[in-house]
Amino acid sequence: MVDKTKCTGCHQCELWCATEISSVSKELYQAIHENPQPVPRVYVEGKDFALQCRHCEGAPCIEACPNGTMRRDPETGLVFVNEPTCIACWMCVMACPFGIINPSPSMRVAVKCDRCRNMGYPICAEVCPTQALRLEERKDYRTKAF
Amino acid sequence: MEFIQKKTIDQAVEYFLPKAAESEISLVWDRYEGQLPECGFCETGLSCRDCLQGPCISHPFRDSNKMGVCGKDKDVLASQSLLRLALKGTMTCLDRISEFAEEVESKQIRPRNKAKTDQVLKEIQGLFKDGGSLMMKEFPKPLIQGWKENGILPEGVARDLFKSSQTLEGGIAGVEEILLRAFKSALLGGTSQWLYGKLKRSVFGDQDPTKIEVNLGVLKNKTPNLLICGPLSPILKKKILDVAEKMGVQVTGACTSPLIPPFHFPILTGYGSQEIPLMTGAVDLVVAGNQSVNPSLFRVAKEFEVSLISADGLSRRKDIGKFAREVVEQAIKSFDFRRHIPRDIPEIREVAMMGFSPEDPDIKKIVEALNKGQLKGIVVLSGSNNVKYTQDQETLLMTQELLRNDILCVSQGEASRALAKYGLLNPIGTKKNCGENLSKVLSSLKKEIPPVLDFGEEGALNLLLEMMRVGKKGLQSYPIVACFPEANRSSEVTQALWMVAMGIPTFFWPALPITGSQKTMDTLSKLCQEKFGSKLNIPMEKKMEALTKADLIIKTLKGEEGFSISGKPWK
Repeated sequence: MVDKTKCTGCHQCELWCATEISSVSKELYQAIHENPQPVPRVYVEGKDFALQCRHCEGAPCIEACPNGTMRRDPETGLVFVNEPTCIACWMCVMACPFGIINPSPSMRVAVKCDRCRNMGYPICAEVCPTQALRLEERKDYRTKAF
Repeated sequence: MEFIQKKTIDQAVEYFLPKAAESEISLVWDRYEGQLPECGFCETGLSCRDCLQGPCISHPFRDSNKMGVCGKDKDVLASQSLLRLALKGTMTCLDRISEFAEEVESKQIRPRNKAKTDQVLKEIQGLFKDGGSLMMKEFPKPLIQGWKENGILPEGVARDLFKSSQTLEGGIAGVEEILLRAFKSALLGGTSQWLYGKLKRSVFGDQDPTKIEVNLGVLKNKTPNLLICGPLSPILKKKILDVAEKMGVQVTGACTSPLIPPFHFPILTGYGSQEIPLMTGAVDLVVAGNQSVNPSLFRVAKEFEVSLISADGLSRRKDIGKFAREVVEQAIKSFDFRRHIPRDIPEIREVAMMGFSPEDPDIKKIVEALNKGQLKGIVVLSGSNNVKYTQDQETLLMTQELLRNDILCVSQGEASRALAKYGLLNPIGTKKNCGENLSKVLSSLKKEIPPVLDFGEEGALNLLLEMMRVGKKGLQSYPIVACFPEANRSSEVTQALWMVAMGIPTFFWPALPITGSQKTMDTLSKLCQEKFGSKLNIPMEKKMEALTKADLIIKTLKGEEGFSISGKPWK
């Protein structure tokens, strides 16, 4: 869930996402100086819209991927990149309707939010100071605008 | 976010923690938890709020916003974050001294030594005007020469503070210049702190080491208790003490120096737990300044119906004597009104000997012991509490370890008051806490002497200058280290920079907001090494055991490169 009215564009989600998911040290002070530079999986679009992967039900990225690198976790339904098999063809980058998937600046793999599938709770929602990012189950999302 | 850590090691404070939780009083620890995670950009110095086009950040992980709107990159942002702190800290010192000097000038008190007071007042005027060229003669020549060569010799408020603050507005100053400006303003602050001590001595007379009581147990059940919170003007404190003694009101303090010759008063608690004394129900009135006073005091005071009087309000009180009288009378009235409030005073108290000066004990003996190798070194401890660490734990554990290793610990300001609560300023504890050699040296200095020597608010500088004079060599050649185990206020940053500029390796916890830029950190350490022959060590590991920290200091005193960031030396 992203609540546009609450997002202040503080970029904290990006900062901690890169530190927690992408850095080696997992400590901000050290992560800043790491090379290759850690990459965030969530992006603050424009002034006030933090966006991460929607994990679409009919995901275009999975369909576009030629070798099954883009997969869905059967248990949780989360879409993720199996990095070792990525051939860097960037089909997913082109197919994503939200522009969430990006080529990694330092390695030839696609980077994408997997909603912290190994952590239990997404770090971006945990650190969001205004709770613009929240994790909640919505069954009525097709019928209700939010 | 949850923050799981022991809150404090002070039993008196711990006693009140469940009570605060029960009655839903928010304390500093609750509020810290509410703030988590703190802004990572500000924490690493990569943010700027200096103009209205911002606020800007330099994003460490995204290429699109590496620079602020005006073009400040991460190196400039990080070095300006340090400059901003140094400027604010310097103003803290200047505020204290200008208020004190103004009150002395307006003849609110008859000074002990009139001639000396007049001279110090002239020096203070000089400090504001041209950086005190006259008074600078009292500093050792090589030190002055070094500062002059690097262009950081104080040149008065206009050149040091105003010009430096304009660097934040813009300009093309590079990292090195910004950092040097931080040192320049810090030197002005340090000098004013030193002059403050000088003025205090000439107005009130010399201070002998005095035994005072600390912690909440000193509060009295059947007497009005008045609490002085924050470093108020010494003249106001003296007048309050004067009237209070006559009217039978007990004066206590928090975050303030307890020694105003010929008076002294007990200290209740430290910076981190300044709301706790009010929770005893036994404090009837608080006189609070602005510095070091948490605005949260107001809420707790309301809860316990404590009168709160501001000593630094907008409406200036010209007649201090009258104000002091009003305050004490109000305390008595408040005591009568508050009879229905139960008083819950934990029986925890400790004795502390404070107020040593370079003349007493004899500096020559200390220098001799250093030369002979009886003392492994000297550590100057400063700094108040920081909620990021268990209250007082770092300061206490590190000091105990240093004492065991025959290192003379000298403390000042809030650090002394923290150590006092655990008996490290009690002469009885000398044998128990100190290594064999250290206790021999200490007992040769004075008959009754505590393990840690407190040099008051302004004394450690005096001690260091005196050491340079006695030993006839720079501080770089002595094994001295300054240490800020739980630093918090901007004035402590100023103090740290001043120590470094004197040539003393300094350890500072927590990390200063410059860690976002490698270039700034490299320039800072190069600058300290080349220009002052010292180091500002800012270990970046967030979790480090107090004993490991003490070990780093011991290694530095021995001349080994012990400090590190994740095991690598900080160049």
